[in-house]
Amino acid sequence: MKKLTPKFIKSKNEARAWSLWVINYFTACGFMELLPWVGSGYDMERFGILATPTPRHADVFIIAGYVTRKAAKRIKMIYDQMPSPKYVLALGSCPMTGGMYWDSYATIKRIDEVIPVDLWVQGCPPKPENIGHAIVMAANAIKGGLEGH
Amino acid sequence: MTEETVSLLKSKFPDSLLNIVVKDKCITFSVKKEESYPILCELKDSGFDHLSDVTAVDYIDEQEFELVYHLWSHQTKVRAIMKVRIPRQSSAVSSVMALWSGAQIHEREIHELFGINFEGNPNLAELFLEDWEEIPPFRKDFDTRKYVKEQYYLEDEQYPIVKG
Repeated sequence: MKKLTPKFIKSKNEARAWSLWVINYFTACGFMELLPWVGSGYDMERFGILATPTPRHADVFIIAGYVTRKAAKRIKMIYDQMPSPKYVLALGSCPMTGGMYWDSYATIKRIDEVIPVDLWVQGCPPKPENIGHAIVMAANAIKGGLEGH
Repeated sequence: MTEETVSLLKSKFPDSLLNIVVKDKCITFSVKKEESYPILCELKDSGFDHLSDVTAVDYIDEQEFELVYHLWSHQTKVRAIMKVRIPRQSSAVSSVMALWSGAQIHEREIHELFGINFEGNPNLAELFLEDWEEIPPFRKDFDTRKYVKEQYYLEDEQYPIVKG
């Protein structure tokens, strides 16, 4: 196979960075702060981001809110269905540390025990501005050659 | 309407009604375990056609569970709350699905979270939990924090544990 030229790789990364399709997994308040981005207020489509109804078309997996043990299995199933390269965003304290459910018997405390996470967005819940910052950071990282999983 | 219901129950079950409180079209009372099903049948016949909720309380000091039935009458707009104590060890009670089929999901939930067995309920499979091997988590002798630390946090406290 012919080796890809650096120019081609650069344009490939550029194209990938600005056409991220996302599949959302949300259980709670974490997603409420993402909604302004879905609507026309912040409008994530101007960054080329679209919400897909199926993980098989998705590049980015956004996990918002606490993750129960039962949900973690479903998250793994969704993640496994996504084609490579895939990127994972975890929104809010809950997927990071358990958040306010840190002593709940039912929630898992760190989502990266289940699937690898590329970007953590802090906050309880994170503000829409934080999410926008994360989206631009992710896009820039992908443009810079972040390969995903 | 509340007085009529109370007097009807008192006439039919003179010895078994305890701690009757009537307030704002709401009747609250406790009954003995043996009389609970006949009383629920009587309440159903006297117009309480809606079962709002079934909940359970764990009185671990007295080694008893308390089941709380919330009933509602659409005709008279009267609420009835019936409490029945059952022993904690052999916690089996007959299902009220024959009276209100909506009790199925409440009983399934209580069975999962408290371990109370409802005889006659055809499906008491796990509802919210999955692969649960401990004692039911809403029982008072289930130490949530100990379980969480063992299950989710490492020995060397690699994860930040909030002391409390």
